[in-house]
This record gives sequence, structure tokens and C-alpha cells, in this order.
Amino acid sequence: MLSIDERWDLIDKISKKTVKFGKYKHTLKDAVGELTVKPLTGIPVAVAVLYGFWSVFSSFAGFCTDGFLVKIFDGYWLPWLQNIFPGGLHNWLYNLMVDAGHIENGVLVPSDNCFEAFGVLTSGLFVPFGVVLPAVFIFYLMMTLLEDIGYLPRLAVLIDTVLHKIGLHGYAIVPTILGFGCNVPAVTATRILETKKQRFMMMTLLGIFIPCGAQLGIMEEVIPDTMGFVILYLLFGYFVFGFILNKIIPGKSPEILIDIPPYQRPTIHNVRKKVWIRVSGFLKVAVPFVILGCLIVGVMYITGFMDWLANALSPLLTNWFGVPKETVGPLVAAFMRKDLAVAQLSAIEMTKYQMITSVVLVSIYFPCLATFIMILKEGGKELLGSLAALVASVFIFGGLIHLIWILLGVA
Amino acid sequence: MKILLMGHPNVGKSVFFNRLTGSNVIESNYPGTTVDYTKGYMVLENRDIEVIDVPGTFSLEPKDKAEEVAVKMLEEEKDAIVVCVIDASKIERGLYLTLEIIEKGYPVIIALNMWDVAKDKNIEIDVKNLEKILEVPVIPTVAISGEGIKEVVSRIKEAKPVKIKNIIKNVGG
Amino acid sequence: MNKYTIGKIYFGVLGIVTLAFGVAELVVTAGGDSFSWSILEIPNGIFRGGWGGVIILSAGSFYLSGIKNLSEIHQFSKIVMGSILIWIVAGCDIFAMITESIPGEEGWFNSLEGFLETYAPPYPPAIILLPFSLIVIYYIYKRKVA
Ligand SMILES: Nc1nc2c(ncn2[C@@H]2O[C@H](COP(=O)(O)OP(=O)(O)OP(=O)(O)O)[C@@H](O)[C@H]2O)c(=O)[nH]1
Ligand SMILES: [Mg+2]
Repeated sequence: MLSIDERWDLIDKISKKTVKFGKYKHTLKDAVGELTVKPLTGIPVAVAVLYGFWSVFSSFAGFCTDGFLVKIFDGYWLPWLQNIFPGGLHNWLYNLMVDAGHIENGVLVPSDNCFEAFGVLTSGLFVPFGVVLPAVFIFYLMMTLLEDIGYLPRLAVLIDTVLHKIGLHGYAIVPTILGFGCNVPAVTATRILETKKQRFMMMTLLGIFIPCGAQLGIMEEVIPDTMGFVILYLLFGYFVFGFILNKIIPGKSPEILIDIPPYQRPTIHNVRKKVWIRVSGFLKVAVPFVILGCLIVGVMYITGFMDWLANALSPLLTNWFGVPKETVGPLVAAFMRKDLAVAQLSAIEMTKYQMITSVVLVSIYFPCLATFIMILKEGGKELLGSLAALVASVFIFGGLIHLIWILLGVA
Repeated sequence: MKILLMGHPNVGKSVFFNRLTGSNVIESNYPGTTVDYTKGYMVLENRDIEVIDVPGTFSLEPKDKAEEVAVKMLEEEKDAIVVCVIDASKIERGLYLTLEIIEKGYPVIIALNMWDVAKDKNIEIDVKNLEKILEVPVIPTVAISGEGIKEVVSRIKEAKPVKIKNIIKNVGG
Repeated sequence: MNKYTIGKIYFGVLGIVTLAFGVAELVVTAGGDSFSWSILEIPNGIFRGGWGGVIILSAGSFYLSGIKNLSEIHQFSKIVMGSILIWIVAGCDIFAMITESIPGEEGWFNSLEGFLETYAPPYPPAIILLPFSLIVIYYIYKRKVA
């Protein structure tokens, strides 16, 4: 075996004999590449890229969902099921599968849209296929383009530079960005981090604070005006809690170095393949969990357990977080899927500010089940210990948001 | 017989793997895409051969969990043939890992991938001489277009273990 | 006169106009109501007016900081970047128009008039700047040949 120095020495000799480095002039591609990583010029570019990302995302999702899918689901699918499904509003199976109905002036009336119906065959299919699928598709398409062009690592380096300036070190930006698509692969992507502490920290932060593509899609559909606040709160939480965790968890968080590859033209073949892998992966994970979530929440309502839970938790929810006690249903659903939870929240009557708080709450109080399983698999048992600490942080954070509303005089 | 694809992150191992086996492993233009191994099969002279795509690693002393997977894979597959995928535009870094693998006694074949990038950067590599010094097949490839992949496949059987002493001798003489 | 001198003047003027559009978008957004004059419509709202305005503003700054010593590659790349920013915003505006024009209010698809009407002026600043920003392609091509 050679020592490290001997090996480099040998390589030096080999390369002297075989490699000639010719003159290399900077090309336009290189110069543009430099502009995208230097903070002064890179930040405006990043701002524009994110703008483009968001604009295309919402145009496309709105086109599919509002333009066509809502018409299909609310205009044909729901009425058709309400017609042919045996039973009626007073039959539990009908409530569970088609329409739970809602009380209007003391009378139980049928729902007229798939958000409010809560049935396995209505909301359970509308949420994943009607709202989330187009959103996830366009999200992955653009993410894949950014990846293959080579912008992703540059964005990571840029954010890293900026974070350093404000004293934050060792944040894993690539997994974080991936997390906006889906938290599950993002958790696996933390394997590129060097220390246990870093991996543990990033997994936790990701699972808690980073909203996934499915959740972004549903928020864009039901709370387009306020989702900006939700995202700001979540990012704020991501950094503040990251800062705190970094201080209290023992261990090191070394710098993260990223090699920046050259810009490239993406190939249609690879883009098509990757989008397909990811979208079908989404369908496999999401659809069963959404349906399971619908079932569990439905059963809890029918058996009266949900009302009991709502009343039991009511003091906490109304006094501490300042949200209506009915949000307990979505909170339960959020164990399964965040998108389902947000969809259910949208059917509950509340103020804009309560909506923001409750959407933030369903996002942070627990990672979705699929992510949780992945975190357990990757992070092991230490994670369970910290869960208690996490629950505590959620209380603080949720209360804090409520406090902000009180101070602003809107709660 | 098994084939292991080893190399630095983002040199094109996964593209290579997909080309060889027709699999659908994710390939992206940033380091750290692959963090777990994937097995696939290719047919060589009417035999099914297992090919393994592993996470990129800078050396055989793993720095993170993804690299651990790669190094562990190498240790587990004692009788594997290693295809070292090197970024031709950063050949020296790639050779480091290759030498480490050669020293461990694995039969090696080198794919000088990203040959197009190296050409763009006006880097000239004397492939014949490199082969003579290292005593293993060295093949320029462009994995995304498929250039050179056939040659790699056809020369896999030429891969053999090399004594590091020989390399030192070859380069000195 | 050298081609680059013309370029310098051209992108200088374009830069100033772009910058002015950016400022106008921010002012309009701060004011609250959208503003329309002839074929120009300045969008309001945090996203398109505010965020988009910042981008147009940056595009103008890129142009202006790139015109000095234009033939040098690093300077020229700023001009290119200015145009790319405009393309991003204009591209989004156009994509939004397309997605709006196809589905109908009530029925499945829009009526033909409704469809065409979406593409009629007034246009947001980025779309008006778009044709002028395309000149950069000529310069990229010219560099390649040289
Ligand atoms: N120009 C050029 N690009 C290539 C070539 N081979 C691969 N690439 C590109 O390099 C990038 C990385 O390819 P991957 O196969 O994902 O790299 P990897 O070695 O698997 O990387 P890790 O999984 O991170 O270890 C992709 O964007 C490919 O399109 C090549 O020969 N020439
Ligand atoms: Mg790979």
C-alpha cells in the first residue's frame, strides 16, 4: 500500500507523461455560470428563477385543476356518486365513502364539492388526482430541468454563501430543495452529510418545516392569497430551530463543500424518464395514504370519537393556538398526508389568520407517515428521543404565531 | 462475475449503469444523486452479469454515509471487476481512487468519461500511454451519447489485477 | 462606427427603459391599483408587481452594469443575464396567458373570442421589453463567429 503522499506523487508523474492541459479561454457559458454563484449577481438570478418556478407552477396547476378537473369532479363525479351510491346522508357507509354532509341551519345537507364531502371516493380521489397530481407533475418537471441544467448545485452554493454571512453553517441545501418535492427522498439524500449530528438535524428540520410539492399544490388551490405567509413562517421556523438544534445537539457540523458541475443542456429522454419515475413514485406513496387518511378520519367522525377529541383538545386549540376546535380532524389526517389535511382545513369556517396558523400547525406538528418511516429507517432510534423535544417546540412555535396575531390585533 | 461501477460523485456512473443494464436509476447534474446501491443485469457472451451502481466516493476512506455504502460494496464483492469511471476533465482526482482500488488487488478497467468536456477544455490525454503505464484498459467515453460504451463492454474481460510496483516502474522508465 | 459602440448605446437605452419599468412596477404595487396606458399595463400585487418588478429592476441593472467594456466576455455575460431575466418574466406572462385562454368559465373550453381576447393588448412590461431584449442573440452569434 502507498501512503497518501506517495500516491499523489505517482499520479503527478503519470499525468506529466500522459496529460496536456491546453490553453483554455473562458466561454460565455462559464461567465454566465460565474454570475449565478456570486451573491451580488446571483441573488437577483435566484429570485428570478424562483419567480419563474412559482409562476409556471401556479399557472399550470390552476389550468388543470380549476380549468378542468374541478369541473369533472364537482360537476359529474360527485353528483353521480351521490345518485347511484346506496344509502344516503344518514347511512354510515355512504358518509364514509361518498359524502359526510354538513350541518346548515340545523339540517344535514349534502355537499356540493369534493373538498367538503370528505368521502373516500370523493375527497380521497379528488385530492390526489384532481389537485395534487398536476401540481406534483409540473413541480417535478421544473425541478428536473433545474437539476439537469446544473442550476441546483449553484443555488445551493449561493444559499450557503448567504447563510454563512448571517452565521448559519452547515445547512444541507440540496436535500432541503429536494424536500420541496417530497420529503421522503430528501431524507435519504441527507446521507451525503458528514456527521451524525448534521444528518439528524437536517432530517428533523426537513420532516418538520419543509412543505412538500403536494402540500404546496393544495395550498395554491385553497389558500392562494395567504400561502406566502405560511411558507414564510415555515422557513423562519426551519432556520430558527436549525440554529437552536445546532447549539444544543452535541457533535460537529462541518462545512459542506459542493463541486459545481458545468451547465448542460438537459436531454428530453432523461427528463421524461425522471419525471415519470418521480410522479409514479408519488402516486404509489400518496394515494394509499390519502385514502387511508380519509378512512381513519371518517371512522373517527362516525364513531363520535372525533367530537370527543375535539372537545378534549378544545382548550389547547382555541386558547393556546387560537384555532377552532374543528381543526382536530385535519390534525389527525396530517399524520397520514399533509395535502389531505390542508384540503380538510379549507372546508372549516375560520378567519384568514386562523387559517394560516392551522395550516402551519398541520405542517409542523409531525412529519407525514411516509417521511416518518423513512426517518426511522435512516436515522434510527435516537430520533424517538428527540420527538418529545420536538413536540415541545411545536407548542412554542404555534403559540408564538398566535401571539404575533394577538400583537397585530388580528386574532 | 460481477461488475462494480466506482468513481467520484457526478462523473456519470448512473448514466453508465442505465446504458449497460437498461435500468432507470436517477441521473442528475449534481454530486450526491445516488446514495444507495442498485443492482442490474447485462448480457455478455450469453451470460447474465450483475452490474452494481454505487454512490460516488472520493476515496476509500468514507467521509459520509453514501461513501460508506460504496466502500462497503467494494469490500463485499471481493471477486468483482471494477469499472472505474473517471471525469476526464479532472483526471488526476479520479486516478487517486483508481490507484487505491488497484492497490486492493481488484481487476480494473478505466472509462475516461466526459471525454467531450475534456476536449472542450483543451485537455489532451494520451490514452495509449496511460494504458501502457497502468497496464489496464483505458477507454474514452461519453456516457450520455453512448460513445465508447461498447468498447468498454468488449474489453471488460481484459481487466486484470495489476501490481502497483509495475505502475511505479512503468512511469519511472 | 464599431458594432460594439452601437451595442453600448442600444443596451444603455434599453437598460434605462428596463430600469424605469421596474421602478414603475414597484410604485404601482405600492400604490395598490394596476395601471394601464395604451398597450402597456403594469401589474399590481405582491407577486407579479412586487416580485416581478424587482426582477425587471435587476434586469435593467444588469444591462447598465454590462455596457462598459462590452466586448469583454464577463461584461457581455451581464447583458446576456439581463435578457435572460426578462425572458423568464415574459415567458411566465405568456405561459399564464396560454393557460388562461383555453378553459372556459362555464363550459369545458373558452369561446373563440374569449380565447383571442386573452392575447390582445395591453401587455405587461416584460412582454413589451421582450422583442428588444432578443437583440442579444445577434451579439452572442456574432461572438461565436468572431
Ligand atoms: N458532457 C457529458 N456529460 C455527462 C457524461 N456522462 C454523464 N454526464 C452527465 O453528468 C451528470 C452526472 O451523471 P450521473 O450518472 O448522475 O453521475 P453519478 O456518477 O451517478 O453521480 P453520483 O450518483 O452523484 O455519484 C448528468 O447530468 C449526466 O448527464 C459525458 O460523458 N459527457
Ligand atoms: Mg449516480
